[in-house]
Amino acid sequence: MIKKCSCVLLLLMTACAPWLPVGGPYESPSHRFSVVLPEKWMKLRAEDDLLLSKDGPFLQYILIQERRIEKPFAHTRKTLQRDMLAQEAAQVIVDEISSDRSVYDFQIIQNTPARINGHKGFQLVFTHKNRDGLVFKTRYCGILAGDWFYAIRYNAAQRYYFDKDIGAFESILSSFEVWEEKTG
Amino acid sequence: MKHWLIAGMTFTAIALWSTTMTASPADIWPSDGEEQRLWLRAQEEERVINESGLLYEDPQLEAYLNEVARKLQPPDVLRSVPIKILVLKDPHLNAFAFPNGVIYVHTGILARMENEAQLATLLGHEMTHCTHKHALKAFRKLKNLHPVSTFDACTQDTPGRSRDLVTLLGSTGALAAITGYTRELETEADQVGFQLVLRAGYDVKEGAKLFEHLKEEIEIYKIKEPFVFGTHPKLKKRIENCEHFLESCEGEKGSGIKNREVFLKKVHKVILENAHLDLKTGRFDMAQKGLERYLALEPQNARAYYLLGEVFRQQGDQERAKAFLGKAIAIDPAYPDPHKAIGLIYYKGGERGRARSYFETCLALSPNVPDRAYIEGYLAECKEE
Repeated sequence: MIKKCSCVLLLLMTACAPWLPVGGPYESPSHRFSVVLPEKWMKLRAEDDLLLSKDGPFLQYILIQERRIEKPFAHTRKTLQRDMLAQEAAQVIVDEISSDRSVYDFQIIQNTPARINGHKGFQLVFTHKNRDGLVFKTRYCGILAGDWFYAIRYNAAQRYYFDKDIGAFESILSSFEVWEEKTG
Repeated sequence: MKHWLIAGMTFTAIALWSTTMTASPADIWPSDGEEQRLWLRAQEEERVINESGLLYEDPQLEAYLNEVARKLQPPDVLRSVPIKILVLKDPHLNAFAFPNGVIYVHTGILARMENEAQLATLLGHEMTHCTHKHALKAFRKLKNLHPVSTFDACTQDTPGRSRDLVTLLGSTGALAAITGYTRELETEADQVGFQLVLRAGYDVKEGAKLFEHLKEEIEIYKIKEPFVFGTHPKLKKRIENCEHFLESCEGEKGSGIKNREVFLKKVHKVILENAHLDLKTGRFDMAQKGLERYLALEPQNARAYYLLGEVFRQQGDQERAKAFLGKAIAIDPAYPDPHKAIGLIYYKGGERGRARSYFETCLALSPNVPDRAYIEGYLAECKEE
């Protein structure tokens, strides 16, 4: 999953990356979720992913993903199941990230249940390093809603940037709305 | 007087240090410029790996692996390439060698081996990559194919060019060890490796068995990834290499050393840790095999029964899961994890009363369990009913 993010980031480095300024209400092209985006951020829409950044994705990004629950992961053969508890879904995500060989020194700081606009879900807070030893911190929220899994994550360099824009992430999270049946 | 004392202590410390240290990659340095660059690149890769949290740190195991490696090579060879064996937490069947003599063996391949003779076969192969300078040969072959770009990359130091150099050395030098060498170099590593194994007195037939384990895994998981014996040349060719070698040393192959008991005593913890890694990557059948193998060696291990229970719980086979989790509790009633796992089975099955009992026991045994918030949530729901 992190490798996929890296690929998206690589895409952004190319000159033709479709960066657009954002702000205000946003509805996904799939019409499955909506969210209010912060002002002065930029967005990239790639396939089912919505990527936002303010100072550049290598410093901080917010990524919103929607994926069908049966879609296989890259690093674990485990899959999400419709009847999974939030804790079990969180374990699949942890196993996927910790099995990724490009993620160095993966450390879970927090793994707790979370309720996101009425949906039962989970929240992970973890750190990892890149090849150069730079530490990144991630807050990862996930919810299972029907046949879909939604992941809303905030990743930033732990030093300075993570704390700087965590407020924007919390604002997005509180506005996140899934337009499907609610669970729990 | 004080100065003399300090000087004396310093001298003694230096003398002790110089007599106790063995040769390390830093002490021996190649004279060839290109090889020096490959070693530098290898050192950088080594640093990244060693700081990645992926090292399986067990000094006793490392000492054993290095002892087996030393049995295979004459001392004069080890003086020119100081071999150092390290273990990586990775369930995939792989091992790779850097040109400076540092060899990484995955827990996955160690956990599948049955005896020291199989380990010797693997180490003999990997050490040959180092002693026969395969990284340097691969680099020079590429340089001959692309002389201009290689020359530019090696002589210019603009930012872009430096990156080219890193890429070049990475793909053809140090990192070639991970992705595999050409067919010729891999065949040479097989042949020389087998000779080392035979000369050290090991049973060379065991090498063929190691290939069979690897073939089995390739077939089960349709593996396409870089793989120590799975690429360059294909495994079939490698098995042929092995068979030819066995034919050529008919009469000697059956009398060799296997050292099964010593090997399993040193490696058995890896089998358990690797089964956990297999479980995380969702390779449930491999995890089950590893755990069953471990339990044959350590039948009273509660953690192994817990992980076996998790193998079945995560696949939805709740009855078998409960049986193994129950065994874990019977062996170690104070172990919280199997209580939590059985609680989850009952909770999801709607048996909230039973679930509550197991969750409460789990929290009583381990009040600071990392997923306490989830369990408290389940307990609150159980109490509401």
